[in-house]
Amino acid sequence: MTTIDTHSEPVTDTPPGLMRRIIRQRQAKIGLVLTGIVVLVAIVGPLLLPWLTGYTSTEFAGRPFQPGGMFGTDNLGRDILSRFLDGGLTLLVYAALATALGMLLGTVAGMLAAYQGGTLDSIIMRGNDVLLALPQLVFALLAITVLGPQGWVVVLVIGITHAPRIARVTRAAASAVITEDFIRASEMYAVPRWKILLKDVLPNITGPLMVELGLRMTYSIAAIASLSFLGLGMQPPTADWGLMINENRIALTLQPWGVILPVLAIAILTVGSNLITDAVARASATVEESK
Amino acid sequence: MAIGVGALLTACGGTAVAQLPALTGPPQRGGILRVGLVGGGAADTLDAHIPVSTTDIARVVNLYEALLYRDENFDLKPLLALSATPSLDSKTWTVRLRQGVTFHNGHLMTSRDVAATFARIMDPENPKSGASSLTILDEVVVLDDYLLEFRLNTPTATFDDSLGQYSLGIVPKDYDPLHPIGTGPFRYDSFTAGRRSVFTRNDNYWQDNEPHLDELRILNFSDDNALINALLATQVDAIGQVPLALLEVLETDPRVDILNSETGMWLPFTMRVDRAPFDDVRVRQAFRLVVDREEMVEQVLSGHGTVGNDMYALYDPGYAENLPQRVQDIDRAKELLAEAGYPDGLDVELVTAPIQAGAVEAAQVFAQQALAAGINVTIRRVDTTTFFGDDYLQWDFSQDFWYTRNFLPQVDNGSLPTSPYNETHWDNPRFIELVNEAKSTIDPTRRNELITEAQTIEYEEGGHIIWGHPNQADAYQRYVGGLVPTGTGLPLSGFEFRRVWMGGQN
Repeated sequence: MTTIDTHSEPVTDTPPGLMRRIIRQRQAKIGLVLTGIVVLVAIVGPLLLPWLTGYTSTEFAGRPFQPGGMFGTDNLGRDILSRFLDGGLTLLVYAALATALGMLLGTVAGMLAAYQGGTLDSIIMRGNDVLLALPQLVFALLAITVLGPQGWVVVLVIGITHAPRIARVTRAAASAVITEDFIRASEMYAVPRWKILLKDVLPNITGPLMVELGLRMTYSIAAIASLSFLGLGMQPPTADWGLMINENRIALTLQPWGVILPVLAIAILTVGSNLITDAVARASATVEESK
Repeated sequence: MAIGVGALLTACGGTAVAQLPALTGPPQRGGILRVGLVGGGAADTLDAHIPVSTTDIARVVNLYEALLYRDENFDLKPLLALSATPSLDSKTWTVRLRQGVTFHNGHLMTSRDVAATFARIMDPENPKSGASSLTILDEVVVLDDYLLEFRLNTPTATFDDSLGQYSLGIVPKDYDPLHPIGTGPFRYDSFTAGRRSVFTRNDNYWQDNEPHLDELRILNFSDDNALINALLATQVDAIGQVPLALLEVLETDPRVDILNSETGMWLPFTMRVDRAPFDDVRVRQAFRLVVDREEMVEQVLSGHGTVGNDMYALYDPGYAENLPQRVQDIDRAKELLAEAGYPDGLDVELVTAPIQAGAVEAAQVFAQQALAAGINVTIRRVDTTTFFGDDYLQWDFSQDFWYTRNFLPQVDNGSLPTSPYNETHWDNPRFIELVNEAKSTIDPTRRNELITEAQTIEYEEGGHIIWGHPNQADAYQRYVGGLVPTGTGLPLSGFEFRRVWMGGQN
């Protein structure tokens, strides 16, 4: 329950106990464990090389598709385990950056549209509709073909294509908040607009935004892995899960680990983050109900 | 040789599965051969003169025959012609035809059919695939039923090489691709583009006892996985173009034999000699010296290939085989780069695409090897359509792919300012002079000397990094007989299924 304290700055509390409500759900725990495992592998993995496997991710361990080592060698004779351990971090970092960028752009645009209304609202939301009409992956393919497959392009493109979806959710959530009396009160005290948006509006829409964050994170992972698979994300010889799947799929029936490991990791990661997102959605829904 | 090594490896692997004995004895008559190939699609054709995909080539080789052909040793042999001889100035070539050869419709093949065939191929309104290599041909003159003259506008001592292309199959005067009639060992039965073709035995075939098969089926597959699975499930009897990295795994299957053919194919890196940094010959030499060719063949081709020496036309009698094999020399490469003004190394972008098995892989191995000499290679992987799009032949540093050819036809295709595919923009006056002289030299010894000299220039200064020659690998069930390794680069004994027979259970 949000209250207005007329003696000081408006209270900026997140709905009490949201975190606890999330953690209390069993699927959130499962989700956290699953995601945690993959994130841990991705972060710690590169540090273990070449100590653990004897090879770096770009060194040649033997001929291609040989059974040596724990999971054999890949299409170029590199150690699959080394490639796997080294291949998750860039994916995670890029996905996180793209999601953060999308959240930032989308939230700002959505809140501005909701708060200002009028012409600005129309411009932002119609612009949104135009961007939404473009399929995300097609837009990404186009941008990368034109600008080249650098990391920042991938992050930028995925981030920008996330923004309109986030902006819609933000606008809807914020529209409900800005009609509240405490916003009017802040306005009467001539609090700057950016402060109102940041301190009054934003804390009251964290629930839906958290759900959106989780969803977009999942989509980012999938999009970046897909782009790498298509050869437009990470460029060889960088180790990357999406790329690994593409490189090794010709030997799927004969030497499948090069495909199975990254597929498993991406699957676990997306399922895990989906479970968490789901838990967040439920938790914030119960907060809404209790209001 | 390569098969021997493979068998040895299989034996060492210790798989205790009983191997079927290899086929021995004389060829048996009868049976159906099912061949699986990747490639082909809705644009597949039965037209004798516009084969594009691998499956198209497999079809034309079996339905039609050219005047000459390249056998498994890459020697030029007569097929429908008995002989092809040049005049003293090598501007007129006289071709004597084989007598008594009939088309699938029962008509005798004569000079008039041959003349009509070449008229069809070089139709100015609608030139066929072979036309680009026949621009030197002015007219085909019929002297009698089995004697023709090919009159050229430029002296060409190796015109017979051009006549040996599979896309120059002889067809009847009234040829209609909807009723694909040729002189080949198999006759057309049914065809669905992108799916399957069924051909039956030509009982009137002119070569003794051939073909051995009753029926030939060519089946299209969309990817290598499906292809290999079809072989392992005995849905097909033979498959062409197996990825080299999967050979050893396939070899462990006791029912399957591998056809591992050394070829003169090449998968070069191409440096544009007219653009910085590669306009400096020292940079090109340095780049050639950073390559560990043995490692390239090991990692990219799984060892199934031969090391290259920066020269193409491996099987040309004039091939400069006396030049020393170039080996990795990082120190010398660094020196050359320093002399060229890059004492701290340099950054280059290498444009690659999956244009052929091993291309993207080779780019990665090169990037890894070049690091030692301070060369930072950024790989830019594009899709095949982009690669062969507007920027094809314009990239500063890229790759390409070529099948086996002899020196002069290859030069026409890729190493002259007038060539359609001169990726390196190679334009060397002395080289051009030597090539032109070689083309009009009838004496083979002298011609070979000129070719060697021209190759030496490319070996020293050229823009190609030719690190190796991939093998062509196919796989087939052990009950299939008659397949032999071939140097042409075409899969499955150059698709010459007339020699193939089914043993054992069939």
